[in-house]
Amino acid sequence: MPSPNAVLIISFLLFSTGVAGILIRRNALVILMCAELMLNAANLNFIAFARHSGSVGGQAFALMVMGFAAAEVAVGLAIVVALYRRKATVQVDDINLLKG
Amino acid sequence: MNGFASGLMEALLRDSAFILPQLFLAGLGTLMLWPGDLLFHKGEKHKWAPVTGAILIVVLALVFRTPEGTGFSGMYRVDGLTKGFQILSILGALGAVALSQRLLNALKEQTVEYYALILFSLSGMLFLCGAVDFVSFYFSLELMAICIYILVAYLRKQERGVEAGLKYFLLGAFSSGLLLYGISLLFAATGGKTTNFAEMGQLLPVVSQSNTLLVGAGVLMVLVGLGFKVAAVPFHMWSPDAYEGAPTPITAFMATAPKAASLAAFIRVFQTALPGVADQWMLPLGYVAAASMILGNVAAIKQQSMKRLLAYSSIAHVGYMLLGVMCGPEGAQATWLYMATYLVMNFGAFAIVIHLQGTGEGERIEDFRGLKDRHPFLAFAMMVFLLSLAGIPPLVGFFGKFYLFQMAVTQGHITLVTIAFLTSVVSAFYYLGVVNQMYFKDAPALAEGAEPEATGMATTVIVTVACVLVLLGTGFAKPLLEWAGGIGSEKKASQVALR
Repeated sequence: MPSPNAVLIISFLLFSTGVAGILIRRNALVILMCAELMLNAANLNFIAFARHSGSVGGQAFALMVMGFAAAEVAVGLAIVVALYRRKATVQVDDINLLKG
Repeated sequence: MNGFASGLMEALLRDSAFILPQLFLAGLGTLMLWPGDLLFHKGEKHKWAPVTGAILIVVLALVFRTPEGTGFSGMYRVDGLTKGFQILSILGALGAVALSQRLLNALKEQTVEYYALILFSLSGMLFLCGAVDFVSFYFSLELMAICIYILVAYLRKQERGVEAGLKYFLLGAFSSGLLLYGISLLFAATGGKTTNFAEMGQLLPVVSQSNTLLVGAGVLMVLVGLGFKVAAVPFHMWSPDAYEGAPTPITAFMATAPKAASLAAFIRVFQTALPGVADQWMLPLGYVAAASMILGNVAAIKQQSMKRLLAYSSIAHVGYMLLGVMCGPEGAQATWLYMATYLVMNFGAFAIVIHLQGTGEGERIEDFRGLKDRHPFLAFAMMVFLLSLAGIPPLVGFFGKFYLFQMAVTQGHITLVTIAFLTSVVSAFYYLGVVNQMYFKDAPALAEGAEPEATGMATTVIVTVACVLVLLGTGFAKPLLEWAGGIGSEKKASQVALR
């Protein structure tokens, strides 16, 4: 089993990829995927450290986060589809009705 | 396996009394979707509104009767703080349901899902108020948020609504990722032992000696994630857009109910889980509070849209309430009191905006020109609400502010209170700007033969009740303070018990 610190580094890389993707990419679907990446980076920490300490709490947390991620994607995709029907675009730069 | 099942059963039977209001809400919400939806035909979905109202009133009664204690292996706790903020959330939902009728009827958008989503979201808020473990905290927060994403984008045929929904959703997903990663870092810092607030509160000061970076980053990310949820500067950019694009009753809902629940969570996280590492978050939280007060009030000045003005004013008010979060256990009651007064003023103001929107105005501040001639009562009530939001004595808003600032001064946050005081003077400027429009500007000429529309029953009741409360609320200061005192003192008792 890899040392917890190695896991922390990997999860941080995964997390940074997610954050960078959200900040850089302009496609709503890609942004959604990057948000999932952030959740999974956190999951990695939960599982590794729960395993490390032998408690099951963290592993249960990770399982439930997966359930939550699925619910979030369902709602997010529904909103993206509703937007696509209105404007025929999924680029976030094209949604600029609300300003100020 | 049998041991697990029987253990689960036993725990459920023992502890379900604590979460009876939420079980009631979630259960009936589900039943409303099916088979309840078959009960009323397509044209009569508006009948769900009184049903929902009745459910909410029963839930309010249930919350008062809930026994106090901790259950579900230290996941959920009922005490004065829980109940106090739960009551505010329920009142917020009740107001939103009452105000929704006109708009939804006019747009022919009455569906059972609208009401069910409010109920589900409310059950998330009720859980959030009592969450004392990062697991229950995170999932109740997300239950609340996911339902509100849908409600913001509810008018899916309007481009604005969907756009607001998408913006809110993307930033919400981003912030919940940050929050979860922060929680996972704190979990890692404790060596993967616990997610419980109280246990973390004991472990974190010890491990922060050796794991400074981990704890510091975790605390900051939790702060950022929560800051997004309450729309504090610099994490506020979703809020004016979401407020403007959402159906106005949902805007009123978002400005009050989820905010009350998130503030309860704010108080719990920072006062139970992270008090030992206060040096890590006190300063950043102070900056966030100050930035919210300054930017919220300054940006509100140049707004043309009434909903955006109220959005920026709500950012500023969150800044004031964060001051209460920084004040330790005693700050909880000041925050609660402030939130309670804010809820009343805000719902009053939104009821008037929604009424005017029904006649095709009220969206822009200019639409309030000469309101005193068309609706003398509404203009007077609006003036009372706005003056109270600005914190002018003897209205109830002043009382809430005074109590909060006084509390903050005794805790030594002199600089922040100075900023808060100065910015509330600035806020009077734009609130009075609206009053100026209503009383000293001439109304635009009414269209031929157009009569000012009579106020509906829900609007009249909400505006009257809120107006009376705002005018006379300060007279009830003593009993209110005593009641709010229960929120703080039980909190103190619980902290003593944990040490």
